[in-house]
Amino acid sequence: MATGVPGNILTAITPRALLTPRMSPADAARLARQGTFGPTADTVAHISSIGAERWISEQFNSSGSSYSEFTLPLPLNYCKDYNCYRARRTREQVAMRFYQNAISSPDQLRQRVALALAQLMVTSMQGVDDAAGMAAYQQIFLDQAFGNYRGIMDAVTRSGYMGEYLDMANSNKSMPSENYAREMLQLFSMGPFRLNADGTVQRDTRGAAIDNYSPHDVKSIARSLTGWTHAHINNGAVTDYNSRDYTKPMSPVPWNYDSSAKVFLRTSVPAGAPQKASVDAAIDAAFNDPSTPPHVARYLIQQLVTSNPSPAYVSRVSAAFSNNGENVRGDMKAVVRAILLDPEARAPSAAPEFSGKVKEPILLLTSIARALGMTTDGVVFQDWDQPLGQPVFLSASVFNFYPPDFPLRGGTNLVSPASKLMTAGQIALRSQLAYNWTIGARSPRPEFSVRPAIANATGTTIDWTSWEAVGSDFDALADRIDLLLMSDPMTTSQRSALKDNWDTITDPDPRLQSRKRASAALYIVFSSPQFQVDR
Amino acid sequence: MSLSMSRRECFSFLAASGLAATMPQLEFGNAIAAPNSPYRAMVGIFLYGGNDGWNMVVPTDLARYSAYSTARRASLVLPQNSLVPLAGSSFGLHPSLKPLKAIWDEGAMNVVLNTGTLSQPLTKAEYIAGVSERPSGLMSHSDEQAHWQGLRARDSNPDGFMGRLNDRIAPSAVSSLISFGGGSLAMIGQNSAPLVLPSKGTVNPPGYAGSLANPIVFTRSAALSAFASGAGWGTLTNETALSMSSAYSQIYIANSILSAESTVDQYFVSTATGAPLVSDISYQLLRIARMIEARGGLGHTRQTFFANHGGYDTHAAQASTQATLFFDLSEALSAFYRAITALGVVQNVTAFTMSDFGRSYKGNAQDGTDHGWGNNQLVIGASLVPKQIHGLYPSQIMGGDDDVAGDGRFIPTISQEQYLGGIARWHGVLEGDMPYVFPRWSNWSGNGRYPVSLFQS
Repeated sequence: MATGVPGNILTAITPRALLTPRMSPADAARLARQGTFGPTADTVAHISSIGAERWISEQFNSSGSSYSEFTLPLPLNYCKDYNCYRARRTREQVAMRFYQNAISSPDQLRQRVALALAQLMVTSMQGVDDAAGMAAYQQIFLDQAFGNYRGIMDAVTRSGYMGEYLDMANSNKSMPSENYAREMLQLFSMGPFRLNADGTVQRDTRGAAIDNYSPHDVKSIARSLTGWTHAHINNGAVTDYNSRDYTKPMSPVPWNYDSSAKVFLRTSVPAGAPQKASVDAAIDAAFNDPSTPPHVARYLIQQLVTSNPSPAYVSRVSAAFSNNGENVRGDMKAVVRAILLDPEARAPSAAPEFSGKVKEPILLLTSIARALGMTTDGVVFQDWDQPLGQPVFLSASVFNFYPPDFPLRGGTNLVSPASKLMTAGQIALRSQLAYNWTIGARSPRPEFSVRPAIANATGTTIDWTSWEAVGSDFDALADRIDLLLMSDPMTTSQRSALKDNWDTITDPDPRLQSRKRASAALYIVFSSPQFQVDR
Repeated sequence: MSLSMSRRECFSFLAASGLAATMPQLEFGNAIAAPNSPYRAMVGIFLYGGNDGWNMVVPTDLARYSAYSTARRASLVLPQNSLVPLAGSSFGLHPSLKPLKAIWDEGAMNVVLNTGTLSQPLTKAEYIAGVSERPSGLMSHSDEQAHWQGLRARDSNPDGFMGRLNDRIAPSAVSSLISFGGGSLAMIGQNSAPLVLPSKGTVNPPGYAGSLANPIVFTRSAALSAFASGAGWGTLTNETALSMSSAYSQIYIANSILSAESTVDQYFVSTATGAPLVSDISYQLLRIARMIEARGGLGHTRQTFFANHGGYDTHAAQASTQATLFFDLSEALSAFYRAITALGVVQNVTAFTMSDFGRSYKGNAQDGTDHGWGNNQLVIGASLVPKQIHGLYPSQIMGGDDDVAGDGRFIPTISQEQYLGGIARWHGVLEGDMPYVFPRWSNWSGNGRYPVSLFQS
């Protein structure tokens, strides 16, 4: 699937795609773990009936998630009371929407790719506490998840919110800030080291990784990015802090722009080049660098499928990034197809035994919620994602909640990014979460109730019906758990241990008995390493 | 001792999960080691983001202060009369570090100048030629953090120096490598793992509570055990399962220490107002002090701690940000110092700072500084030779022989291994283990090179 990837929806609906055999339910669940916020019975049945290629094409055209109603810019001194402050200056409303979408919106793959991009091109309310700006920034990823990577880089670079977060806004030719320039190269495009097309690092004759750029390159790109400032609400003066509009692209400030000649990477910008041309040249140099396709490919594979993709897998996705088959570079549809249709993603037998990834906290929360049949306003998730180590939109730095090369314990020479968030304290908290939302949620939990102080709060409910339906029949319950929650079927001894526990739980009310039995089994499985690692 | 789970319940879980054999009989609160015992602890505090050490420690002699105030942009320059003098030296501290003055005056603080990531000694000519052993990924946060924590400045780092140190220490029921500041590369070993708990609150895994005489509890515990092993599910599941079992086997004991009455909490108050400290770094150091207090019951003769303090990436408006960070840091360190003094182990504990990199000396037009290289660090503990300033302050000529970028990004003159290696040797790492813990140790010991001489003996 590395070459000849269909470039658009018309070519995608080929006879070959229509002939794609149905997927087994287990394979469909595997795709749902990679491309959604957690398998549900409906999603698995649907994917199983139409196959991977058609499901992906369908998802390319699916929409529904949006932050647009939160992007109205208001003056930064607008709020006069705490409730206004928490709605406008904290992540609360935007994060509520994130979790609502993740649990309930149909455009699951778009959202997963948007989250992957948001964890690659990170901004944070910890750095810029303006919810409208964050909403507008996240909207870029929802809108362009299946667009072109060059367009995403362009929107991110010009974003007023990013401009404030990494100081490109108001960077001045007298002594330019290097912050955005450096991270655009290091994180958002080519990476610090020269890569082969398969993502492996190129080394010098003495074994050290070869730097992809020099301090001079960073300085020169920083100079190319000078002379931009925030848009202002109601034509407010550029000196008026309170009228800054972080939702819009930045505007030029010609007198702060360094218009002298610049040379960086394999690019030169002549003296007197227009401001926009300087920015375009910097983005193009990064986007077109040979290390960018493997760097971005590897990162997105890690986000969607596996922490340790083989070099061959990276090279196949990297090739799709470089050329979608129609000489277009950066086509995200081609990249996403290549990631999800690769044999290493689709066929467990084609994948190394160490493949897979630890469920990061956001996906742990949403996978549990979706499997349970939860309906939510997204409030309660914010009680958990922070202590679990991944408060969405609130990263401690541009380096996200975990680094892509965090080592797996045990001298394995493997990486496991999300294992950074598996401290003893967080492991205990994961177990607590599993308990609270199962055994602890047989009757309504206080944490699920409507919180009146929060705008748009509607609370959280679990519809136990589907689990009650199988709770009275142990084999049906165990089969459903195997399908939706386990990467591989549980072992005979695990199954019998669950059955022993199931046998001991009784209640005079048959429906409540089913719920109790199912929720006890779900607690055990949700807290298990088999559920918390996706394979 | 207040346990949120009774001792009996704890054992019922441990029995069910097959972990009882690893659970020692512990007695808390007694067995405090004498000050002259061989007990030693190191406390590494990583200042994430790249602390501007050039405004943490500032020269006070006329020539160098004058060069400092000329080379740095005006918005960054600390007024000379605001500096906290380090008596007996020609340096002063940032004014927000004033709580550390008493520690310096007592003789329990050192400064290490212009230390940074090196694979071998490097001149500017060699740096420019590029064929030398120049570290890779300079000025990159993630790479330089890895070079400080893993110490391999030209290669990837699958483990960290504290983790490797821990690999060579006899295992105990509760790991003696502990952090309350999140997981980090520094603590990952080849065959050992740290204990990492939050800086606030205690959570014991639920679901194991209750009497095993209750069939529901008994079968639930058995089912949890049936799912506890990841063997046969691939390396990733297997290692994750091991980390989960390890967490469960340690956390009840650790949480009992963190929730018990303690003598150390009283010291974690503001030097100015007496109010309890509320910064995260103060919470981390308070819990570290509690684990030091509990060392006897834990059977720890060596302890290694990692703390983190973030927010130092001051590309813009540095003055106010750094002042706040330094105030929180120095209040927390001051409290920690009082606590270990009261515990009678002030000679047995050494705390020290690390950071991604130093920052550009000159600074940028947004009143901030950009990523640099060599940096200044602080070391605290009563085993130190009193009032020492180690190393060389770099030439303040922008673009001079010490500066690789024209605006004050200085080539370190003390490597990270010389700095940390000195502390690790004091801590008790055997000479034979030094090359394992410090991968380029042969470059930094012998042939006229040696670790920084921080300690009295």
